[in-house]
Amino acid sequence: MTTWRKLKRRPQLWQRYFIREKVLRAIRLFFEDRKFHEVETPLLISHPPAESYLDVFETTLLDRNRRSKNAYLSTSPEVPLKKLMVAGLGNNFALTKSFRNMETQGNLHNPEFTILEWYRIGVDYHDIMKDCEALLLSLNSVVNPGANNQLIYQGTNVDLTPPWERLTVSDAFAKLAHINFDDFLQEAVARKTAKMKGYNVERSTTWEEIYNQIFLNEVEPRLGRGKPTILYEFPSVMGALARKKKTDPRFAERFEFYIEGLELGDCYSELTDWKEQQQRFEGELRELSRLGKTVYEYDHDFIEALKVGLPECSGIAVGVDRLVMLLSDAKTIQETLLFPADELFGV
Amino acid sequence: MATITTANFRKGNFIEFRGEPSQIMDFQFVNPGKGSAFVRAKLKSLKSGKVIEFTYKSGESVEELPINTREMQYLYKEGDSYVFMDNFNYEQLNISEAMIGEFKKYLKSNDTYQVLVYEDTAVGIRFPKKVWLKVTEADDGAKGNTATGATKTVVTETGAVVTVPLFIKEGDTIGIDPETGSYLERG
Repeated sequence: MTTWRKLKRRPQLWQRYFIREKVLRAIRLFFEDRKFHEVETPLLISHPPAESYLDVFETTLLDRNRRSKNAYLSTSPEVPLKKLMVAGLGNNFALTKSFRNMETQGNLHNPEFTILEWYRIGVDYHDIMKDCEALLLSLNSVVNPGANNQLIYQGTNVDLTPPWERLTVSDAFAKLAHINFDDFLQEAVARKTAKMKGYNVERSTTWEEIYNQIFLNEVEPRLGRGKPTILYEFPSVMGALARKKKTDPRFAERFEFYIEGLELGDCYSELTDWKEQQQRFEGELRELSRLGKTVYEYDHDFIEALKVGLPECSGIAVGVDRLVMLLSDAKTIQETLLFPADELFGV
Repeated sequence: MATITTANFRKGNFIEFRGEPSQIMDFQFVNPGKGSAFVRAKLKSLKSGKVIEFTYKSGESVEELPINTREMQYLYKEGDSYVFMDNFNYEQLNISEAMIGEFKKYLKSNDTYQVLVYEDTAVGIRFPKKVWLKVTEADDGAKGNTATGATKTVVTETGAVVTVPLFIKEGDTIGIDPETGSYLERG
């Protein structure tokens, strides 16, 4: 049954869907109070950032003479926001839609989703951690007034009072998977460890797959239980657009935060070095072509912007649909959407 | 045994998990931040009935178990198991409560079901598309409240509680989808 029919039949369901509008309004108010600029970034773009783990939606732009150009749906507002910071925008945020293909058949993904990104100039990722704590408190007080920093999600009480638990990836693997992460960074050790734990390791299995499989089976389900967890210092190969730690370049200044096993946001101290960014893009494009995915030109204008100079900054992407899930006590992302993709496309 | 990949996963499939025969109760695709795709499955052990979660790499190979289907008649419940009989050779097989799962509330004595058998052990029932059951308890339809969508709940002869439209009366036979537990039609 489609959602509008369910709503017609059970009008009390509206209350859960109305939580989204409260969350969107409260997010805007939170950043307005902190003097952040809100900007609109394009959804239809010519060059997606090169990320081999994402599948892009591809379409065609026609000019008046029906001459065509490749066009794509934006996978995140990150690149346009960074160009605007080069231009002098200052602290900013975007609350917008993003699109990622092949993200069906999961309770935590919808191919079209709402994303919140914010950036602070002149800070590192530790300051963004504090923003996350404050934002969640503020949203919870709007949705659950009088709840005194407490939130009930799927029958479990979560205490949002700062400071949240902070755990490095290395400590999380040691504590929850009994792995010495320094050794595990070596591919041969990782393969042996995974085999001993009973995972299927084939010749083609990559270090990233081993890392993520152990993470998803042994670490992630136990994060953020009863209290949010900030997981930080990711291995550099998982660093994407994050800058490497100066004191230990094997790790990148990246964090994710989890509540009740739900990953809600992904933050970096942003990479500002254009040469390294260009190398990473080129590596990602080779990987896209190896994986047989849609290959596109990366955004050379972004590299030009980095050459002009991106100020030191940190930013985060937060999945707004998942925030709504958490705050409306919904079990699936689909239950927060009036028109979920599985209904629209029957997938 | 046949080798399949996670792309062939279906709810209800039987696979081997770390040497133990298991049934896939449910599965979800997951994408960790900046990572490749994975498939998170809920697996029920055929031996203990215990359900665990395991996350596979997308595309990983697993062994599918050979399962036979036998037409058998449900006789009665004995302790924690349900007794079925083959009408041709009168052989009896028991299905444990843990393996029969939610279907137990639709089981009707003397009806014939498709019993799933793995190495001489009955491990479950292939859900029919529809089960027909008589309504044994129903409130007067006129009490229905249109604000809640003009439905009410009734109890069937097997004890299953089902949400139905207001016009269903005691003594009616109704069709139910055992997969979702929802009302389909009046017989």
